[in-house]
Amino acid sequence: MNAEWTGGPDQLIEADEQRHGAARQFQDAGLPLLKLWTYYYGIGGDVDELSLDAYLNEALHLPAAQVGLVTTALTELTWDDAE
Amino acid sequence: MTDNKGPLQEPDGLADSESEQSFQRLVLESRDVRDFLAELAVRAASRLSVSGNTVHCGVTVIRHRRPQAVAASDAAAGALDELQNGFGDGPCLTALRNRTTLLVPDLASEKRWGPYVRAAVEHGVSSVLAVPLDLAGDAEAVLNLYSSRSNGFTAEDISTVEAFAHQAAGSIRLILRITQLSEAREDLSAAMQSRTVIDMAIGAIMAENRCSREEAFNILTRASSTRNIKLRDVAASVISSISGEEKIPTHFCD
Repeated sequence: MNAEWTGGPDQLIEADEQRHGAARQFQDAGLPLLKLWTYYYGIGGDVDELSLDAYLNEALHLPAAQVGLVTTALTELTWDDAE
Repeated sequence: MTDNKGPLQEPDGLADSESEQSFQRLVLESRDVRDFLAELAVRAASRLSVSGNTVHCGVTVIRHRRPQAVAASDAAAGALDELQNGFGDGPCLTALRNRTTLLVPDLASEKRWGPYVRAAVEHGVSSVLAVPLDLAGDAEAVLNLYSSRSNGFTAEDISTVEAFAHQAAGSIRLILRITQLSEAREDLSAAMQSRTVIDMAIGAIMAENRCSREEAFNILTRASSTRNIKLRDVAASVISSISGEEKIPTHFCD
C-alpha cells in the first residue's frame, strides 16, 4: 500500500522527520520486525509487513493514520518490555 | 532430567549420530531455551570435573544487545557470569566478541580485564575457559567454564568442549526456531483478539460521531496517548460503556 503524496513540501519535511524518528525508535528497541508488525496489525493497522519494513528503512511514506498506529505500536511495545 | 547419557558422558570415539540423537532428545525434553542451556551447562561441568578439580559452567547470551547470564550448572557459575557481565568485560565476553575459544590458564598472572580478574580471584577462580557457540547469526552465546585450580583445563578438555559446543549449537538453533515460531503464533492470536475489540470500538465511534474510520482512529489514539492507556484498553472501555460487556470472546485459539 503506497500513499499518494498530496501534502505540500513543508508537510513532506515533517513526514520525513517523523519517519526518521520512528526508524530510530525501532532500531533502538531491537525488536524483530514481525513482532512489531503483529502488534501493529492487532491495534488495527492495515499495511503489510513489507511496506512497514520499507517505512522503517525510510524508503516509503505511509498514510498519516497508519503512521499514528506504527508510533502507538512502538510505544506500547516498549511499555511491555519495561514491565 | 535424570538421564545422564549426554554426549559428554559417552566414551571417546562415539559416532556423531549418537551424540546428535542425544541432543535431539534434549531439545524435545526441554521446555524452553533456558531449560536446554541449563542442562547443557550441567553436562559440560560434570564432564570436565574430576576429584580435586570442580568445574563450574555458565552460559551467557546477548539479549537486547546486553550480555545476560541465562543458565548455569550451579549458583557459583551463575554468580561468576553475572560478575563479568556487570563489569562489561572479561575473558568470556572477549571470546564472544572474537568468536574464538579463549583460555586463561592462571588468573593470578593475567594482565587483561583488571577489575574483573581481581573480583574473580576473590571468588576462588584460578582458570577460565570460554568457548563461543556458533549460532549462525540466530543469536550469540558463550559457554563459560571456571576452575578453582590454575591450569585447570587440559588441551584435551579444550577440544572436548569445542566439539561439544559445535554439536550443541545445531540443537540450540533448532530450539530457538521452535521458540520463535510458537511466540509468533501466540503474538498473532493476541493480535486477532485485540483487533476485534478495536474494530468494534472504531465502528461504535464512527456511528456516534458520524465520522470516517480514519477520524475514529484519531479519536481513539488521542484518548489513549493523553491518558497513557493502551489503545486496546481504551477500546475495551468504549465497548463496555455502550453495552456493559467486559469480555469480547474471539475464538482463534484451539
